[in-house]
Amino acid sequence: MSESAPRQQDQPRTHGVLRLGKHAFPPGQPLIMAIVNRTPDSFFQPGMTWEEPAALERVHQVIAEGADIIDVGGIPAAPGSEVDVAEEIRRTAGFIAAIRSSYPDVVISVDTWRHETGRAACESGADLLNDSWGGSDERLAEVAAEFGAGLVCAHVGRQRPRTRPFRVAYADVMADVLAQTLRLTSRALAAGVQPDHIVLDPAHDFGKNTWHSLEVTRRLGELTETGWPVLVSLSNKDFVGETLNLPPEQRLPGTLAATAVCAWHGARIFRVHQVRESRQVVDMVAAIRGDRPPARAVRGLA
Amino acid sequence: MLSAAALCPAPPLLARELTGAAAVLPELRQACRDAADALVQASPDVVAVVGVAAETRTWDASARLDLSAYAPGIRAGATGSSQASGTAAGPGSSLPLPLGLGCRLLDEAGYDGSLDLQSVSESTTATECAALGARLAAAARRVGLLIMADGSARRSRRAPGYLDARSGTFDAEVGRAIRTGDMAALLALDPALARDLLATGRPAWQVLAGAMDGSRPDSVIRYEDDPFGVAYLVASMTVS
Repeated sequence: MSESAPRQQDQPRTHGVLRLGKHAFPPGQPLIMAIVNRTPDSFFQPGMTWEEPAALERVHQVIAEGADIIDVGGIPAAPGSEVDVAEEIRRTAGFIAAIRSSYPDVVISVDTWRHETGRAACESGADLLNDSWGGSDERLAEVAAEFGAGLVCAHVGRQRPRTRPFRVAYADVMADVLAQTLRLTSRALAAGVQPDHIVLDPAHDFGKNTWHSLEVTRRLGELTETGWPVLVSLSNKDFVGETLNLPPEQRLPGTLAATAVCAWHGARIFRVHQVRESRQVVDMVAAIRGDRPPARAVRGLA
Repeated sequence: MLSAAALCPAPPLLARELTGAAAVLPELRQACRDAADALVQASPDVVAVVGVAAETRTWDASARLDLSAYAPGIRAGATGSSQASGTAAGPGSSLPLPLGLGCRLLDEAGYDGSLDLQSVSESTTATECAALGARLAAAARRVGLLIMADGSARRSRRAPGYLDARSGTFDAEVGRAIRTGDMAALLALDPALARDLLATGRPAWQVLAGAMDGSRPDSVIRYEDDPFGVAYLVASMTVS
Protein backbone atom coordinates (compact mmCIF):
# COMPACT_ATOMS: atom_id res chain seq x y z
CA MET A 1 0.00 0.00 0.00
CA SER A 2 2.96 2.31 -0.49
CA GLU A 3 2.33 5.65 -2.08
CA SER A 4 4.99 7.38 -4.11
CA ALA A 5 6.25 10.68 -2.78
CA PRO A 6 5.71 13.71 -4.97
CA ARG A 7 8.86 14.47 -6.88
CA GLN A 8 9.39 17.97 -5.53
CA GLN A 9 9.82 16.47 -2.08
CA ASP A 10 12.62 14.10 -3.03
CA GLN A 11 15.32 16.60 -2.17
CA PRO A 12 15.78 17.00 1.59
CA ARG A 13 15.11 20.43 3.00
CA THR A 14 17.71 22.24 5.01
CA HIS A 15 16.92 21.89 8.69
CA GLY A 16 15.50 25.26 9.52
CA VAL A 17 13.56 27.20 12.10
CA LEU A 18 10.07 26.10 13.01
CA ARG A 19 7.71 29.01 13.49
CA LEU A 20 4.86 28.48 15.91
CA GLY A 21 2.94 31.39 17.33
CA LYS A 22 5.38 34.08 18.43
CA HIS A 23 8.31 31.70 18.40
CA ALA A 24 10.99 30.71 15.92
CA PHE A 25 12.47 27.48 17.20
CA PRO A 26 15.89 26.60 15.77
CA PRO A 27 16.93 23.05 14.90
CA GLY A 28 18.62 21.43 17.86
CA GLN A 29 16.20 22.83 20.41
CA PRO A 30 13.96 19.94 21.50
CA LEU A 31 10.41 20.97 22.33
CA ILE A 32 8.12 19.32 24.84
CA MET A 33 4.45 19.24 23.91
CA ALA A 34 2.36 18.52 26.99
CA ILE A 35 -0.87 16.59 26.53
CA VAL A 36 -3.91 18.14 28.19
CA ASN A 37 -6.98 16.07 27.37
CA ARG A 38 -10.43 17.55 27.80
CA THR A 39 -11.93 14.09 27.73
CA PRO A 40 -13.44 11.79 30.33
CA ASP A 41 -12.12 8.66 28.66
CA SER A 42 -8.55 8.89 27.34
CA PHE A 43 -6.38 5.82 27.87
CA PHE A 44 -3.85 7.38 30.23
CA GLN A 45 -5.16 8.70 33.53
CA PRO A 46 -8.70 8.92 32.12
CA GLY A 47 -10.68 11.96 33.10
CA MET A 48 -7.80 13.56 34.96
CA THR A 49 -8.24 16.90 33.21
CA TRP A 50 -11.87 16.55 32.17
CA GLU A 51 -12.94 19.35 34.48
CA GLU A 52 -11.64 22.76 33.40
CA PRO A 53 -10.12 23.77 36.76
CA ALA A 54 -8.08 20.55 36.82
CA ALA A 55 -7.06 21.09 33.21
CA LEU A 56 -5.91 24.65 33.91
CA GLU A 57 -4.03 23.45 36.95
CA ARG A 58 -2.25 20.93 34.74
CA VAL A 59 -1.36 23.69 32.27
CA HIS A 60 0.26 25.69 35.07
CA GLN A 61 2.12 22.61 36.19
CA VAL A 62 3.43 21.49 32.80
CA ILE A 63 4.61 24.99 31.94
CA ALA A 64 6.45 25.13 35.24
CA GLU A 65 7.98 21.75 34.37
CA GLY A 66 9.32 22.98 31.07
CA ALA A 67 6.63 22.39 28.45
CA ASP A 68 6.97 24.48 25.29
CA ILE A 69 3.66 23.53 23.72
CA ILE A 70 0.26 22.73 25.24
CA ASP A 71 -1.68 20.19 23.17
CA VAL A 72 -5.40 20.32 23.87
CA GLY A 73 -7.53 17.41 22.76
CA GLY A 74 -11.25 16.87 23.05
CA ILE A 75 -11.56 13.37 21.61
CA PRO A 76 -9.71 10.21 22.60
CA ALA A 77 -7.88 8.37 19.85
CA ALA A 78 -9.58 5.11 20.64
CA PRO A 79 -13.07 4.31 19.41
CA GLY A 80 -15.88 5.02 21.83
CA SER A 81 -18.83 7.25 22.38
CA GLU A 82 -19.35 9.76 19.60
CA VAL A 83 -18.07 13.29 20.12
CA ASP A 84 -19.61 15.56 17.50
CA VAL A 85 -18.11 18.81 16.24
CA ALA A 86 -20.13 21.00 18.57
CA GLU A 87 -19.13 18.98 21.59
CA GLU A 88 -15.48 18.86 20.53
CA ILE A 89 -15.44 22.65 20.16
CA ARG A 90 -17.23 23.02 23.47
CA ARG A 91 -14.49 20.96 25.13
CA THR A 92 -11.53 22.70 23.54
CA ALA A 93 -12.08 26.25 22.24
CA GLY A 94 -13.02 28.00 25.47
CA PHE A 95 -10.25 26.20 27.28
CA ILE A 96 -7.72 27.31 24.66
CA ALA A 97 -8.89 30.89 25.14
CA ALA A 98 -8.40 30.50 28.88
CA ILE A 99 -4.85 29.23 28.41
CA ARG A 100 -4.13 32.06 26.00
CA SER A 101 -5.31 34.69 28.44
CA SER A 102 -3.02 33.28 31.15
CA TYR A 103 -0.05 32.64 28.84
CA PRO A 104 0.16 35.11 25.95
CA ASP A 105 3.31 33.50 24.52
CA VAL A 106 3.03 29.75 25.05
CA VAL A 107 2.45 27.68 21.93
CA ILE A 108 -1.00 26.13 21.98
CA SER A 109 -1.87 23.16 19.85
CA VAL A 110 -5.21 21.52 19.23
CA ASP A 111 -5.40 17.79 18.67
CA THR A 112 -8.14 17.41 16.05
CA TRP A 113 -8.76 16.15 12.58
CA ARG A 114 -11.78 18.37 11.94
CA HIS A 115 -11.44 21.72 10.22
CA GLU A 116 -14.38 23.19 12.15
CA THR A 117 -12.64 22.48 15.42
CA GLY A 118 -9.34 23.72 14.03
CA ARG A 119 -10.98 27.00 13.03
CA ALA A 120 -12.60 27.48 16.45
CA ALA A 121 -9.28 26.67 18.12
CA CYS A 122 -7.37 29.17 15.99
CA GLU A 123 -9.97 31.82 16.71
CA SER A 124 -9.39 31.11 20.39
CA GLY A 125 -5.63 31.48 20.08
CA ALA A 126 -4.23 28.11 18.97
CA ASP A 127 -0.96 28.18 17.01
CA LEU A 128 -0.71 24.59 15.81
CA LEU A 129 -3.16 22.08 14.37
CA ASN A 130 -2.10 18.63 15.49
CA ASP A 131 -3.84 16.57 12.85
CA SER A 132 -3.00 13.19 14.29
CA TRP A 133 -5.37 11.37 11.90
CA GLY A 134 -3.29 12.05 8.83
CA GLY A 135 -5.24 14.55 6.78
CA SER A 136 -8.62 12.87 7.04
CA ASP A 137 -10.27 16.29 6.62
CA GLU A 138 -8.58 18.06 3.71
CA ARG A 139 -9.90 21.44 4.77
CA LEU A 140 -7.83 21.45 7.97
CA ALA A 141 -4.78 22.54 5.97
CA GLU A 142 -6.80 25.46 4.60
CA VAL A 143 -7.56 26.56 8.15
CA ALA A 144 -3.86 26.36 9.04
CA ALA A 145 -3.04 28.49 6.01
CA GLU A 146 -5.77 31.02 6.76
CA PHE A 147 -4.64 31.57 10.34
CA GLY A 148 -0.90 31.19 9.79
CA ALA A 149 -0.97 28.21 12.12
CA GLY A 150 1.34 25.23 12.13
CA LEU A 151 0.18 21.87 10.82
CA VAL A 152 1.21 18.36 11.80
CA CYS A 153 1.29 15.94 8.88
CA ALA A 154 0.90 12.48 10.37
CA HIS A 155 1.13 8.98 8.99
CA VAL A 156 -1.83 6.76 9.80
CA GLY A 157 -1.72 4.34 6.89
CA ARG A 158 -5.31 3.78 5.87
CA GLN A 159 -6.89 4.32 9.27
CA ARG A 160 -9.95 6.48 9.58
CA PRO A 161 -10.21 8.65 12.71
CA ARG A 162 -10.76 6.75 15.95
CA THR A 163 -10.19 3.32 14.45
CA ARG A 164 -7.81 0.63 15.60
CA PRO A 165 -5.39 -1.13 13.28
CA PHE A 166 -6.75 -4.45 12.08
CA ARG A 167 -4.13 -6.76 10.57
CA VAL A 168 -2.28 -3.84 8.99
CA ALA A 169 0.65 -4.79 6.79
CA TYR A 170 3.25 -2.76 4.94
CA ALA A 171 5.86 -3.87 2.45
CA ASP A 172 8.03 -1.23 4.13
CA VAL A 173 6.39 0.75 6.89
CA MET A 174 9.04 3.46 6.94
CA ALA A 175 8.72 4.01 3.21
CA ASP A 176 4.98 4.38 3.70
CA VAL A 177 5.51 6.86 6.54
CA LEU A 178 7.79 8.92 4.32
CA ALA A 179 5.46 8.80 1.34
CA GLN A 180 2.30 9.66 3.23
CA THR A 181 3.74 12.44 5.38
CA LEU A 182 5.46 14.03 2.40
CA ARG A 183 2.27 13.77 0.35
CA LEU A 184 0.41 15.56 3.15
CA THR A 185 3.18 18.13 3.23
CA SER A 186 2.72 18.84 -0.46
CA ARG A 187 -1.00 19.17 0.08
CA ALA A 188 -0.41 21.59 2.96
CA LEU A 189 1.94 23.70 0.87
CA ALA A 190 -0.58 23.73 -1.96
CA ALA A 191 -3.22 24.89 0.51
CA GLY A 192 -0.98 27.80 1.44
CA VAL A 193 0.62 26.61 4.69
CA GLN A 194 4.05 28.19 5.09
CA PRO A 195 6.93 25.69 4.89
CA ASP A 196 8.32 26.74 8.26
CA HIS A 197 4.95 25.92 9.87
CA ILE A 198 4.93 22.24 8.89
CA VAL A 199 5.78 19.28 11.14
CA LEU A 200 5.89 15.55 10.30
CA ASP A 201 4.66 12.85 12.69
CA PRO A 202 5.18 9.13 12.04
CA ALA A 203 2.32 8.55 14.51
CA HIS A 204 3.37 5.56 16.55
CA ASP A 205 0.55 3.04 17.10
CA PHE A 206 -1.71 4.82 14.56
CA GLY A 207 -2.29 2.33 11.76
CA LYS A 208 0.61 0.32 13.14
CA ASN A 209 1.17 -2.75 15.23
CA THR A 210 3.94 -2.84 17.80
CA TRP A 211 6.46 -4.21 15.29
CA HIS A 212 5.70 -1.31 12.97
CA SER A 213 6.12 1.27 15.73
CA LEU A 214 9.42 -0.26 16.81
CA GLU A 215 10.63 -0.15 13.20
CA VAL A 216 9.58 3.47 12.85
CA THR A 217 11.49 4.30 16.04
CA ARG A 218 14.54 2.40 14.82
CA ARG A 219 14.50 4.16 11.47
CA LEU A 220 13.28 7.59 12.54
CA GLY A 221 16.43 9.11 11.09
CA GLU A 222 15.00 8.54 7.62
CA LEU A 223 12.18 10.91 8.49
CA THR A 224 14.33 13.58 10.17
CA GLU A 225 16.71 13.44 7.19
CA THR A 226 13.96 14.95 5.05
CA GLY A 227 14.74 18.21 6.83
CA TRP A 228 11.17 18.71 8.02
CA PRO A 229 10.75 19.04 11.79
CA VAL A 230 9.57 15.74 13.26
CA LEU A 231 7.12 15.29 16.11
CA VAL A 232 6.92 12.00 17.95
CA SER A 233 4.04 10.94 20.15
CA LEU A 234 5.26 7.96 22.15
CA SER A 235 3.90 8.62 25.57
CA ASN A 236 2.75 5.47 27.38
CA LYS A 237 1.48 4.02 24.11
CA ASP A 238 0.60 0.39 23.45
CA PHE A 239 3.81 -0.33 21.55
CA VAL A 240 5.66 0.45 24.77
CA GLY A 241 3.18 -1.56 26.81
CA GLU A 242 3.32 -4.58 24.53
CA THR A 243 7.10 -4.44 24.29
CA LEU A 244 7.51 -4.48 28.05
CA ASN A 245 4.23 -6.21 28.94
CA LEU A 246 3.17 -3.36 31.18
CA PRO A 247 -0.09 -1.45 31.74
CA PRO A 248 -0.31 2.27 30.91
CA GLU A 249 0.60 3.51 34.36
CA GLN A 250 3.90 1.60 34.28
CA ARG A 251 5.13 2.66 30.85
CA LEU A 252 7.24 5.70 31.73
CA PRO A 253 10.69 4.06 31.55
CA GLY A 254 9.86 2.46 28.20
CA THR A 255 8.45 5.75 26.96
CA LEU A 256 11.63 7.56 27.98
CA ALA A 257 13.81 4.96 26.26
CA ALA A 258 11.91 5.47 23.01
CA THR A 259 12.06 9.22 23.58
CA ALA A 260 15.83 9.09 23.88
CA VAL A 261 16.18 7.11 20.67
CA CYS A 262 13.94 9.50 18.74
CA ALA A 263 15.77 12.49 20.19
CA TRP A 264 19.06 10.96 19.10
CA HIS A 265 17.61 10.55 15.60
CA GLY A 266 16.77 14.25 15.55
CA ALA A 267 13.07 14.48 16.44
CA ARG A 268 12.25 18.02 17.53
CA ILE A 269 8.85 17.82 19.24
CA PHE A 270 7.90 15.26 21.89
CA ARG A 271 4.24 14.91 22.78
CA VAL A 272 4.14 13.66 26.35
CA HIS A 273 2.18 13.10 29.50
CA GLN A 274 5.13 13.29 31.90
CA VAL A 275 6.79 16.62 31.19
CA ARG A 276 9.49 16.78 33.85
CA GLU A 277 10.99 13.39 33.02
CA SER A 278 10.71 13.90 29.27
CA ARG A 279 12.33 17.34 29.49
CA GLN A 280 15.33 15.80 31.25
CA VAL A 281 15.65 13.04 28.66
CA VAL A 282 15.47 15.28 25.61
CA ASP A 283 17.79 17.87 27.13
CA MET A 284 20.29 15.15 28.01
CA VAL A 285 20.17 13.71 24.50
CA ALA A 286 20.49 17.19 23.01
CA ALA A 287 23.70 17.64 25.00
CA ILE A 288 25.00 14.24 23.88
CA ARG A 289 24.25 15.25 20.29
CA GLY A 290 26.12 18.49 20.89
CA ASP A 291 23.04 20.62 20.26
CA ARG A 292 22.88 21.96 23.79
CA PRO A 293 25.64 22.83 26.26
CA PRO A 294 25.65 21.33 29.74
CA ALA A 295 23.80 23.46 32.26
CA ARG A 296 26.94 23.90 34.32
CA ALA A 297 30.26 22.21 33.67
CA VAL A 298 33.04 22.49 36.26
CA ARG A 299 34.32 18.95 36.73
CA GLY A 300 37.97 18.78 35.72
CA LEU A 301 37.92 22.37 34.50
CA ALA A 302 38.98 24.14 37.71
CA MET B 1 62.28 47.09 31.10
CA LEU B 2 59.17 45.94 32.85
CA SER B 3 56.53 48.62 33.33
CA ALA B 4 53.47 46.63 34.36
CA ALA B 5 52.39 43.08 35.03
CA ALA B 6 49.13 41.23 35.38
CA LEU B 7 48.63 37.90 37.13
CA CYS B 8 45.77 35.62 36.27
CA PRO B 9 45.03 31.95 36.87
CA ALA B 10 44.62 29.67 33.87
CA PRO B 11 41.88 27.14 34.61
CA PRO B 12 39.95 25.89 31.58
CA LEU B 13 36.78 27.32 33.13
CA LEU B 14 38.16 30.79 32.52
CA ALA B 15 36.91 30.20 28.96
CA ARG B 16 33.26 31.11 29.33
CA GLU B 17 32.01 28.58 26.81
CA LEU B 18 33.49 25.62 28.69
CA THR B 19 31.14 25.95 31.66
CA GLY B 20 28.01 25.48 29.57
CA ALA B 21 24.90 27.53 30.11
CA ALA B 22 25.95 28.78 33.55
CA ALA B 23 28.43 31.61 33.86
CA VAL B 24 30.52 29.94 36.55
CA LEU B 25 32.70 32.42 38.48
CA PRO B 26 31.86 35.55 36.50
CA GLU B 27 33.63 37.54 39.22
CA LEU B 28 36.88 35.69 38.48
CA ARG B 29 36.58 36.43 34.76
CA GLN B 30 35.80 40.06 35.51
CA ALA B 31 38.86 40.34 37.74
CA CYS B 32 41.00 38.89 34.94
CA ARG B 33 39.49 41.31 32.43
CA ASP B 34 40.22 44.20 34.77
CA ALA B 35 43.81 43.04 35.18
CA ALA B 36 44.25 42.73 31.42
CA ASP B 37 42.69 46.17 30.91
CA ALA B 38 45.08 47.73 33.41
CA LEU B 39 48.01 46.06 31.70
CA VAL B 40 47.00 47.34 28.27
CA GLN B 41 46.36 50.82 29.66
CA ALA B 42 50.01 50.93 30.77
CA SER B 43 50.78 51.28 27.03
CA PRO B 44 53.42 48.58 26.74
CA ASP B 45 55.56 48.35 23.61
CA VAL B 46 55.26 44.59 23.86
CA VAL B 47 53.33 42.20 26.08
CA ALA B 48 54.99 38.96 27.11
CA VAL B 49 52.54 36.23 28.03
CA VAL B 50 53.99 33.54 30.27
CA GLY B 51 52.36 30.24 31.14
CA VAL B 52 53.39 26.82 32.30
CA ALA B 53 53.34 24.04 29.71
CA ALA B 54 55.14 20.84 28.81
CA GLU B 55 58.21 22.57 27.40
CA THR B 56 60.02 25.87 27.64
CA ARG B 57 59.77 27.62 24.32
CA THR B 58 58.38 30.60 22.47
CA TRP B 59 55.21 30.42 20.41
CA ASP B 60 54.22 32.17 17.23
CA ALA B 61 51.73 34.95 17.87
CA SER B 62 49.48 33.57 15.11
CA ALA B 63 48.87 30.40 17.14
CA ARG B 64 45.50 30.42 18.84
CA LEU B 65 43.58 29.09 21.78
CA ASP B 66 42.13 25.67 21.00
CA LEU B 67 39.59 24.39 23.47
CA SER B 68 38.75 21.19 21.62
CA ALA B 69 40.99 19.12 23.88
CA TYR B 70 38.86 20.21 26.82
CA ALA B 71 35.50 20.20 25.11
CA PRO B 72 35.32 17.91 22.09
CA GLY B 73 32.18 18.57 20.14
CA ILE B 74 31.67 22.05 21.55
CA ARG B 75 29.93 24.27 19.06
CA ALA B 76 30.52 27.94 18.64
CA GLY B 77 27.43 29.67 19.93
CA ALA B 78 26.16 26.58 21.75
CA THR B 79 26.24 28.56 24.98
CA GLY B 80 24.26 31.31 23.35
CA SER B 81 27.28 33.58 23.09
CA SER B 82 28.95 34.43 19.85
CA GLN B 83 32.28 32.90 19.14
CA ALA B 84 34.78 34.61 21.37
CA SER B 85 37.85 36.20 19.97
CA GLY B 86 41.03 34.22 20.11
CA THR B 87 39.24 30.94 19.54
CA ALA B 88 39.42 30.69 15.79
CA ALA B 89 41.53 27.91 14.45
CA GLY B 90 44.26 29.92 12.82
CA PRO B 91 46.86 28.79 10.36
CA GLY B 92 49.37 28.31 13.17
CA SER B 93 49.44 25.62 15.81
CA SER B 94 47.30 25.76 18.90
CA LEU B 95 48.71 27.33 22.04
CA PRO B 96 49.09 25.76 25.45
CA LEU B 97 45.99 26.65 27.45
CA PRO B 98 47.56 29.31 29.74
CA LEU B 99 48.98 31.18 26.77
CA GLY B 100 45.77 30.85 24.79
CA LEU B 101 43.70 32.13 27.68
CA GLY B 102 46.16 34.98 28.16
CA CYS B 103 45.94 35.94 24.48
CA ARG B 104 42.17 35.91 24.70
CA LEU B 105 42.28 38.26 27.70
CA LEU B 106 44.52 40.63 25.75
CA ASP B 107 42.24 40.43 22.71
CA GLU B 108 39.25 41.26 24.86
CA ALA B 109 41.15 44.19 26.36
CA GLY B 110 41.61 45.51 22.84
CA TYR B 111 45.35 44.91 22.71
CA ASP B 112 46.67 44.63 19.18
CA GLY B 113 50.37 45.28 19.72
CA SER B 114 53.38 42.99 19.78
CA LEU B 115 53.32 39.72 21.69
CA ASP B 116 56.00 37.47 23.11
CA LEU B 117 54.43 34.13 23.92
CA GLN B 118 56.57 32.12 26.30
CA SER B 119 55.84 28.77 27.85
CA VAL B 120 57.93 27.50 30.70
CA SER B 121 58.13 23.91 31.82
CA GLU B 122 57.49 22.65 35.29
CA SER B 123 61.07 21.37 35.56
CA THR B 124 62.62 24.80 35.02
CA THR B 125 64.72 25.89 38.00
CA ALA B 126 64.23 29.17 39.80
CA THR B 127 67.51 30.47 38.37
CA GLU B 128 66.50 29.58 34.85
CA CYS B 129 63.08 31.17 35.35
CA ALA B 130 64.64 34.37 36.66
CA ALA B 131 66.99 34.55 33.68
CA LEU B 132 64.07 34.03 31.33
CA GLY B 133 62.16 36.83 33.05
CA ALA B 134 65.11 39.20 32.77
CA ARG B 135 65.37 38.41 29.04
CA LEU B 136 61.66 39.07 28.45
CA ALA B 137 61.84 42.37 30.37
CA ALA B 138 64.76 43.50 28.23
CA ALA B 139 62.84 43.10 24.98
CA ALA B 140 61.61 46.72 24.82
CA ARG B 141 61.60 50.01 26.64
CA ARG B 142 58.15 49.32 28.09
CA VAL B 143 57.38 45.65 28.57
CA GLY B 144 54.08 44.40 29.90
CA LEU B 145 53.95 40.95 31.43
CA LEU B 146 50.91 38.74 31.66
CA ILE B 147 51.60 35.84 34.02
CA MET B 148 49.14 32.97 33.82
CA ALA B 149 49.70 30.94 36.97
CA ASP B 150 47.71 28.85 39.42
CA GLY B 151 48.19 28.09 43.08
CA SER B 152 47.70 24.75 44.76
CA ALA B 153 44.97 22.40 43.51
CA ARG B 154 44.96 20.66 46.90
CA ARG B 155 43.11 23.25 48.95
CA SER B 156 40.23 21.11 50.20
CA ARG B 157 38.89 17.58 50.35
CA ARG B 158 36.84 18.35 47.25
CA ALA B 159 39.81 19.81 45.43
CA PRO B 160 41.09 18.11 42.27
CA GLY B 161 44.16 16.91 44.20
CA TYR B 162 42.36 16.34 47.51
CA LEU B 163 43.48 18.20 50.63
CA ASP B 164 47.11 18.76 51.43
CA ALA B 165 47.30 20.74 54.65
CA ARG B 166 50.49 22.47 53.47
CA SER B 167 48.67 24.19 50.63
CA GLY B 168 47.24 26.95 52.84
CA THR B 169 50.68 28.11 53.99
CA PHE B 170 52.14 27.83 50.50
CA ASP B 171 49.44 29.89 48.78
CA ALA B 172 49.34 32.42 51.59
CA GLU B 173 53.05 32.98 51.08
CA VAL B 174 52.59 33.47 47.36
CA GLY B 175 49.75 35.92 48.03
CA ARG B 176 51.85 37.83 50.54
CA ALA B 177 54.79 38.00 48.14
CA ILE B 178 52.59 39.35 45.34
CA ARG B 179 50.78 41.78 47.62
CA THR B 180 53.97 43.22 49.09
CA GLY B 181 56.11 42.99 45.98
CA ASP B 182 58.48 40.56 47.69
CA MET B 183 59.99 39.01 44.59
CA ALA B 184 62.73 37.28 46.54
CA ALA B 185 60.07 35.23 48.27
CA LEU B 186 58.76 34.05 44.89
CA LEU B 187 62.26 33.01 43.83
CA ALA B 188 62.56 31.07 47.08
CA LEU B 189 59.49 28.90 46.43
CA ASP B 190 60.40 25.22 46.67
CA PRO B 191 59.79 23.52 43.30
CA ALA B 192 59.39 20.09 44.92
CA LEU B 193 56.80 21.36 47.37
CA ALA B 194 54.99 23.21 44.58
CA ARG B 195 54.89 19.98 42.58
CA ASP B 196 53.52 18.05 45.56
CA LEU B 197 50.82 20.67 46.04
CA LEU B 198 49.86 20.76 42.34
CA ALA B 199 50.74 24.46 42.43
CA THR B 200 51.47 24.61 38.73
CA GLY B 201 52.18 28.33 38.61
CA ARG B 202 55.56 28.18 40.38
CA PRO B 203 57.82 28.62 37.32
CA ALA B 204 55.68 31.48 35.96
CA TRP B 205 55.83 33.38 39.25
CA GLN B 206 59.59 33.00 39.22
CA VAL B 207 59.74 34.38 35.68
CA LEU B 208 57.85 37.38 37.05
CA ALA B 209 60.35 37.77 39.86
CA GLY B 210 63.24 37.69 37.38
CA ALA B 211 61.55 40.27 35.17
CA MET B 212 61.23 42.66 38.13
CA ASP B 213 65.03 42.76 38.30
CA GLY B 214 65.19 43.80 41.94
CA SER B 215 62.55 46.51 41.80
CA ARG B 216 59.66 46.39 44.25
CA PRO B 217 56.37 46.70 42.41
CA ASP B 218 53.11 48.16 43.69
CA SER B 219 50.37 45.56 43.65
CA VAL B 220 46.59 45.45 43.62
CA ILE B 221 44.97 42.13 44.44
CA ARG B 222 41.79 41.73 42.39
CA TYR B 223 40.77 38.20 43.32
CA GLU B 224 42.11 35.66 45.80
CA ASP B 225 40.01 32.58 46.48
CA ASP B 226 39.76 28.84 45.94
CA PRO B 227 36.11 28.15 45.10
CA PHE B 228 36.85 24.73 43.62
CA GLY B 229 39.83 23.83 45.75
CA VAL B 230 42.35 25.46 43.41
CA ALA B 231 43.94 28.72 44.54
CA TYR B 232 43.26 31.53 42.08
CA LEU B 233 45.05 34.84 42.35
CA VAL B 234 44.43 37.87 40.15
CA ALA B 235 46.65 40.89 40.59
CA SER B 236 47.95 43.95 38.83
CA MET B 237 51.48 45.23 39.41
CA THR B 238 53.16 48.42 38.35
CA VAL B 239 56.80 49.31 38.43
CA SER B 240 57.61 52.95 39.10
